[in-house]
Amino acid sequence: MFFASRNFCCHGIRTYQLRTYLLSRSIKHSASATMAFRHKNTRRIEGLDSNVWVEFTKVAADPSIVNLGQGLPDISPPSYVKEELAKAAAVDRLNQYTRGFGHPSLVKALSQVYERVCGRKIDPLTDILVTVGAYGSLFSTIQALIEGGDEVIIIEPFYDCYEPMVKMAGAKPVFIPLRCKNDGNSASSADWVLDPAELANKFNSKTKAIILNTPHNPIGKVFTREELQVIADLCIKHDTLCISDEVYEWLVYKGKKHIKIATLPGMWERTVTIGSAGKTYSVTGWKLGWSIGPENLIKHLQVVHQNTLYTCPTPLQEALAQAFWRDYKRMDDPDCYFYSLSRELESKRDRMAELLKEAGLKPVIPDGGYFMIVDVSTLNVDLFDVDEKQPYDYKFVKWMIKSKKLSAIPLSAFCGPETKKQFEKYIRFCFIKKDSTLDAAEVILKNWNKQ
Amino acid sequence: FLSLFLQAKMSRPVQARRLEGIDKNIWVEFVKLAATYSKVNLGQGFPDFPAPDFVREALSRVLGGENHMLHQYTRAFGHPPLVKVLAQLYGKLLGRDLDPLTNVMVTVGAYQALFCCFQAFVDEGDEVIIIEPFFDCYEPMVKMAGGTPVFVPLRLKAPKDGKMMSSADWQLDPAELASKFNERTKAIVLNSPNNPLGKVFSRGELELIADLCVKHDVLCISDEVYEWLVYDGKELIRIASLQGMWDRTVIIGSAGKTFSITGWKVGWTVGPDRLLQHLRTVHQNSVYHCATIAQEAVAQGFQRELMLYGKPESYFVQLPKELQQKRDWLVQSLEAVGMKPIIPEGTYFLVADISQFKSDVPDVPNSDEPYDYRFAKWMIKNKGLAAIPLSAFYSEAHKSNYSNFIRFCFAKEEATLKAANDILQKWKKEKNS
Repeated sequence: MFFASRNFCCHGIRTYQLRTYLLSRSIKHSASATMAFRHKNTRRIEGLDSNVWVEFTKVAADPSIVNLGQGLPDISPPSYVKEELAKAAAVDRLNQYTRGFGHPSLVKALSQVYERVCGRKIDPLTDILVTVGAYGSLFSTIQALIEGGDEVIIIEPFYDCYEPMVKMAGAKPVFIPLRCKNDGNSASSADWVLDPAELANKFNSKTKAIILNTPHNPIGKVFTREELQVIADLCIKHDTLCISDEVYEWLVYKGKKHIKIATLPGMWERTVTIGSAGKTYSVTGWKLGWSIGPENLIKHLQVVHQNTLYTCPTPLQEALAQAFWRDYKRMDDPDCYFYSLSRELESKRDRMAELLKEAGLKPVIPDGGYFMIVDVSTLNVDLFDVDEKQPYDYKFVKWMIKSKKLSAIPLSAFCGPETKKQFEKYIRFCFIKKDSTLDAAEVILKNWNKQ
Repeated sequence: FLSLFLQAKMSRPVQARRLEGIDKNIWVEFVKLAATYSKVNLGQGFPDFPAPDFVREALSRVLGGENHMLHQYTRAFGHPPLVKVLAQLYGKLLGRDLDPLTNVMVTVGAYQALFCCFQAFVDEGDEVIIIEPFFDCYEPMVKMAGGTPVFVPLRLKAPKDGKMMSSADWQLDPAELASKFNERTKAIVLNSPNNPLGKVFSRGELELIADLCVKHDVLCISDEVYEWLVYDGKELIRIASLQGMWDRTVIIGSAGKTFSITGWKVGWTVGPDRLLQHLRTVHQNSVYHCATIAQEAVAQGFQRELMLYGKPESYFVQLPKELQQKRDWLVQSLEAVGMKPIIPEGTYFLVADISQFKSDVPDVPNSDEPYDYRFAKWMIKNKGLAAIPLSAFYSEAHKSNYSNFIRFCFAKEEATLKAANDILQKWKKEKNS
């Protein structure tokens, strides 16, 4: 190996040659990494290798643990959704490639559903891109529209992938936290708000986009029209794009309404709205999502898509299209899955809240989504023997998994470096779980103090 | 009133610079044309025959079963039963012990595997060697990663007297190849069996490439999606099995090509952990999970194949046998009408020289569009027969090097190939009358 012959004795002429070589490469390495240095990761993924899910899904994979951590339903998707997939897979042509930017019947169905919701014409071919989950939509949007020199505003706590995706695009994440307006005494997700002056301060000439997530993961906040207007005004004033992650759009509880920021004046032309089949139909394993917006933005997402994975699976898209048609036709009917799922989840939400209160915990009741955050500091659990270097909530969850056989996700996973202290007393529970899972959780929570 | 800053921002394009020069895509155009005009589609590479029974049965089983958790997320880097069987299969093929968790990663088609490789290893200023003709996405993917594609052509050597051209006649010039390697070379992309030519690189050719990779400490991205489609009893040699190559190679495979289910978009990468760890980082920050059900069905397909490995009922034996017949049929068909086929050693593509049909599509001097593009488009619109121009698989600078060739896909039902033959025969008669 030509490089190995230059060993690191660092004397005389070799020092000069070695230094010049190293300087010209500008890469640090150790003596043992001779070959490895050329094969190390690119700059764009530097520091992006760790991931809360990889850590916690491994830990909670034990079937004896009641898993309220990762956001995946253990309830069954509606039977017609599964049937449509079986039907689609039986058609030979549907086992081969379809249109890259989205299977024709699916983009048509999506355009109809969202035309109705948004009250505007949506062209299925130019205004929609189908992606591998909402995750893929976030990636396509950020890769298409964000680059080095840009700043992107991220509201904390945030779905954890926003930060690494913004960094991978070479841009700088600028964080702003939701703050509890009742001095930490929060009973509802609506208590968590942005400070308008603080938000305005985050915008500058470099701000390319703001990422909005409503209904919000993990808190469950459903942004009000007034709150959205504050954001919209700033976007328009600073000519900023809005990436609106609305995967939980149908999961909104009594008294609340999901409002699409893209429908506010001046916002359609600067907003990419993201949706998810996984959350809409309880099929997270289908990994289908979509981006909807004006052609002049979506066309760039399409370019990213055609250079990353080109097309999404055909039979899944066909089945999803059929499911959408079925529910589109009953959007005036309370039996429409978009509404019936929400009702089912509301009672699970309420049950979960009761169980947590009984165990002496203070849950923050979400107005939407299927997560609930809880302040666990009130329990005063002694965690000194758990790994010191991690934030309190990480330690708490690991302890809870081990000693209570119940899993959740630590909230500091959803925060930037400055706010970890603010949120490390919270953990997140997922309640889109079947009754027997919630029953098992109930047993644990009822017996919490008896150990 | 607009501030100067705002005006400056508004005058900048909204899209990121990484999209520069990668917005055009031949498939978008040709797929649309085929959908609109073609009666017989031998263009885009996908089978028009059904997926094998055992795969369809696996899917039925999976969908009909009680386990509805298969509709939820699975392990991000690959559904456990799938990575397990892939590790077993490739371990066997490479003569190595492979760890399913660290030596295998599942992707959304081989396409996404390629994307992960370029994003993980190609930085601004890195050079990536691409052998022409190439599957068209390599070039834009390298560019999107900020890299510089460096092209080296396979050159057509005249076949021996009387023999038909073969994909084996397309060869690299060793000195020319060596000259492309320098200290900025990060990787070389190898595609064997090669799309579009069907070339199956020989051991000697692979050793040539391997020596240069080792000498210059270069990575090898080995796109082996057509690995089972090798004809005439030829052996596919995997470059990762050559001396010094395992540690620097990422192998890419595809369920779409292996099991004739391109619409399921399941692919994989196989390689050493120290390379795959970086692919995992890209994957977890781009798509994260792949569809569970698709992976479960593919896993069951592989389990069946592993049991039947080497036996006549194995799909890996049956499919190439069937496709070889179709290849030979198409070769005869093209020869009979005066299109000169280059007999492919592998893949389900065949390239043919259409010089004898040029009179139908006159040359337009100083045209921006390569001749074969115009020919192919004319043929779709006027004859209803879809094929892809060979220059689609060349870099911009070299598009006119071989302007008389088009690529046919022969992974088609007999009826389709017969219909293509009818069109060609009719066309020939029209020319001669």
